[in-house]
Amino acid sequence: MRIRLRIGAVVLGALAAAVALLWATPFLWMLVASLRADSFGSLDMASLLPPRSPSFANFRAAWDAGDFPVYYLNTLIVVLGTLSVQLVTISLAGYAFARLRFWGRDVLFYLFLLQLMIVPPVLILPNLKTVIALGIDNRLLGVMAPYFASAFGTFLMRQTFRSLPRDFEDAAEIDGASLLQRLRYVLLPLARPALAAFAIVSVVAHWNEFLWPLIVINSPGERTLTLGLASVLGGAEGAAQWGLIAAATLLVSAPLLAAFLAFQRQFVDSFVFSGIK
Amino acid sequence: MGIKTTLGLAALTLAIGFGAPQASAGTSIDFYFPVPVQGALAREMGEIVKTFNESHPDVVVNAAFTGSYDDTRLKAQAAFEAGKPPAVALVSANNVPDFVIADQIESIDGLLAAHHQDPKTFMDDFWPALRANATSDGTLYAIPFQNSTPILYINVNEFKEAGLDPDHPPATWTEFVAAAEKLTKRDGEKVTQYGFEMPGIYDYLGWITQTFAMSNGGLFFNPINPGEVYYDQPSTQGAVQFLGDLVAKHKVMPPGVVDPSQVSTDFFAGRAAMVMLSTGALTFIREGAKFPYKVAFVPRQRRNAAPIGGGSMVVFKTLTPEAREAAWTFVSYMTSAATLGRWSRATGYFSPRKSSYDMPEMKSFIDQHPDALVALNQLEYAQPWLATYNVVAVRKALEDQMQAVLSGKQNAADAVRLAQKNANEIMKPYQEKLAQPGAM
Amino acid sequence: MTAEIFDADTRKVAPRLGARIAVRRLRPLALMAPSLVALGLFTYWPVLSVAIDSLYARRLGARASVFVGLDNYVRLLRDDKFAAALINNLIYLAATVVPSLILALAFALLLRRSTAFNRALRALLFFPTVVPLIAAAALWTFLFLPTIGLIDYYLGSFLPVSVNWIGDERTALAAISFVTVWKNAGYYMLFYLAALQAMPHELIEAAILDGAGPWQRLRHVILPLLAPTTSFVAVIAFIQAITTVDHVIVMTRGGPGDSTTLLLYYVFTTATEVHDIGKAAAATVLTLALLLLVSGAGIRVFERRGGDAN
Repeated sequence: MRIRLRIGAVVLGALAAAVALLWATPFLWMLVASLRADSFGSLDMASLLPPRSPSFANFRAAWDAGDFPVYYLNTLIVVLGTLSVQLVTISLAGYAFARLRFWGRDVLFYLFLLQLMIVPPVLILPNLKTVIALGIDNRLLGVMAPYFASAFGTFLMRQTFRSLPRDFEDAAEIDGASLLQRLRYVLLPLARPALAAFAIVSVVAHWNEFLWPLIVINSPGERTLTLGLASVLGGAEGAAQWGLIAAATLLVSAPLLAAFLAFQRQFVDSFVFSGIK
Repeated sequence: MGIKTTLGLAALTLAIGFGAPQASAGTSIDFYFPVPVQGALAREMGEIVKTFNESHPDVVVNAAFTGSYDDTRLKAQAAFEAGKPPAVALVSANNVPDFVIADQIESIDGLLAAHHQDPKTFMDDFWPALRANATSDGTLYAIPFQNSTPILYINVNEFKEAGLDPDHPPATWTEFVAAAEKLTKRDGEKVTQYGFEMPGIYDYLGWITQTFAMSNGGLFFNPINPGEVYYDQPSTQGAVQFLGDLVAKHKVMPPGVVDPSQVSTDFFAGRAAMVMLSTGALTFIREGAKFPYKVAFVPRQRRNAAPIGGGSMVVFKTLTPEAREAAWTFVSYMTSAATLGRWSRATGYFSPRKSSYDMPEMKSFIDQHPDALVALNQLEYAQPWLATYNVVAVRKALEDQMQAVLSGKQNAADAVRLAQKNANEIMKPYQEKLAQPGAM
Repeated sequence: MTAEIFDADTRKVAPRLGARIAVRRLRPLALMAPSLVALGLFTYWPVLSVAIDSLYARRLGARASVFVGLDNYVRLLRDDKFAAALINNLIYLAATVVPSLILALAFALLLRRSTAFNRALRALLFFPTVVPLIAAAALWTFLFLPTIGLIDYYLGSFLPVSVNWIGDERTALAAISFVTVWKNAGYYMLFYLAALQAMPHELIEAAILDGAGPWQRLRHVILPLLAPTTSFVAVIAFIQAITTVDHVIVMTRGGPGDSTTLLLYYVFTTATEVHDIGKAAAATVLTLALLLLVSGAGIRVFERRGGDAN
């Protein structure tokens, strides 16, 4: 009986490993192909065997084909900017939902809930008009603005604040702390894990965003990494150099993949957190 | 992150987000451009622009690679609608009617006149086939910059193996099919060598379909009136049928939509004996083919015909006078015989100006590369490219049907009928205006 | 309770009681204001705005739009491309949500013990979620290429015929669906993992004592307990399937033919290629309606199931 279980476990483990490795094949190819120099018309472009003499020629070509330093900078601005504003809005709104009783609270709650479904990409047309009317079209701020309020973040903070015991707040209040002070010095430090979880989800989501920035941004100087990648992909009369494309894809994905590998546990926890309503 | 840091970052972002001014010495203008191959040619364009900037200190051109022709058009029009157009853009040669109807580009005739050049003789130096696509209602609106036609590339070794003479490539549709059948090799059920491959993606497919329709004696579209296409004419139907038969009946061409990268790669790898690609790919093929190859005219049915392709320079409206001056200086430089020649040698596009070919660098280049000469000779039979109101959607109306035919899901008769119906629907606003002269 | 009475803040700001109550009433509003402004501008106003825009159309050459009532909707429903987009999206919904859930559950069950080995495998499965969809699209475009692409390169000798995955009308939608499943299954797996780890062991042990084999345990104990998670993940997957078209834009551009045109992609091309803003707005309204319908139904199932599970 025990032997059968053992064999069963080993077989399942091997199966799982095989599936996981197959799942990661595209990334393996990305890595190998980007380091393989002469991919011109070679029938072996798809080979997963590492090149005998790896070279960075593709990276140099990809770097030239676009303006990657600008793309990196713009993406960082969008990601960190959106996050900073979100942290403020979700903390304030989350606190209101968690601790205060006020007229219309339930209605507002459902209004927030709707935003989980009515995501900005569906509203590209009217949001573009709004953004132009506000004068922030073709600017990174226009990319960030629709996300300043985050229903997901607000619910997360509401949940988190609710689960914190009131004692600390009450004590601070008796000491004469104002609401904002209580929030800043008592509640938010205690809510740090939730904030970190939210930060990870937000950063990944906005690093990877494509459709809304595509609509808002016209000037190449304001492009984010995803837009830059799309532009490298779209050659006019199409004679794709796959090594270059692999390198460009790696340049765009590498920071997040690296961050994920370094902070795996936190990443996983955050994304699971996002499921706890 | 501490609270202070967060708020500070938020404020900083808002500040950066709001303003992104550029310091400029001299009039600064934006130039949007696509290129056929990523990497190398974008850099070459950058070099040319740099040469211009260095020799013209009062103008600073910010060149931006904006992806494909379609992306470039999208970006330029969106920028225009937002009130901040680029000064100059390299757009698909058949976008002129769209830009003119939307009233977004300056008349080149006007600019010529303002700079004491004669609009009537300006285009004399350009190949005649290019004129239709650059004009609208008799007025010049664009200056051709890079042009191409479809052309047949053949693998000399495989021709010899199949008992065909590479010096006499197939000249008619009948010869073409016969050759393709001889050049197709199978290993059981699977094809190891296709007789013919061509790209089936949007834009390329429409271009090639037009080629065959015109070779079949058809007009395909009305070059004077951007509201008429002739998809459901027998000449177009015949072309669609012919291409569909290559896949389904003669089985010399792979089914479905073939990516251009696959076409070139299969050619290099010897898995496609003949391919149809743009003359713009000539340099790419020359550098990548490790076997002898030749280029040949597109096979004719009733006549030799091939639509031009490529890009032209346009200058946008609503610029300040300084920007318009700067734009004109830049465009004049870019469309000079010398620059056009340089770009032609780097890409494989042919130079739109006849005089480029009188220059010594070009003469020696042609001597060394006889394949470039063939491309040039086909210009004699070149025709205007499909250019209508809403050309992308009108083009796609046929392409969607053509893709279905190539996948074996549609027959030629229904394909052209549906394509015509959809195209008319798309062009209806323009057609209605034509039908009511009083409203114009 | 005590907090509201001993509020040093309001006493400083508003010495008189009436004013103090007013400030206290305003406080929640002040806290919610930033979020409400953003929500109003970018979620609620746009819904109204696009509904209004769908009733207007711009004639050729005219600068202003004119009111056309429901004409845009009529044209929309007569448009073959829209019909194709709707049907494709419904097929795509089924083709992405079902396999994603099954794979996510399977992965979670296989890897539910947190050994180092399992954690490494989970990481590999989660990689696709971390990268942008368009990066995934770029990679898969190559993998799908006939002859020279990776799938044909390694499996070509086993397949009877070389399939042009994204170039053939019959397979393109399946290929796009596959990319989505590949990207999201690892993400959904996490939710199942969390649920499995929170599952009370007593029920499973009771089932074992009752003589239930692994399959029976799965069907009668584990799956019902996972029902709330399943509904939740399904809703997320539904929303994804309607609101994400990055890969269509980059891999197939809606083609070949119309076979991969999805609703949001239809909106995108109608607005940017055909410039028919009124029609695009009408399509947006219908897409929103579908979105709310589908996620609303999902949420109701979720809430009901959630109640049942308790």
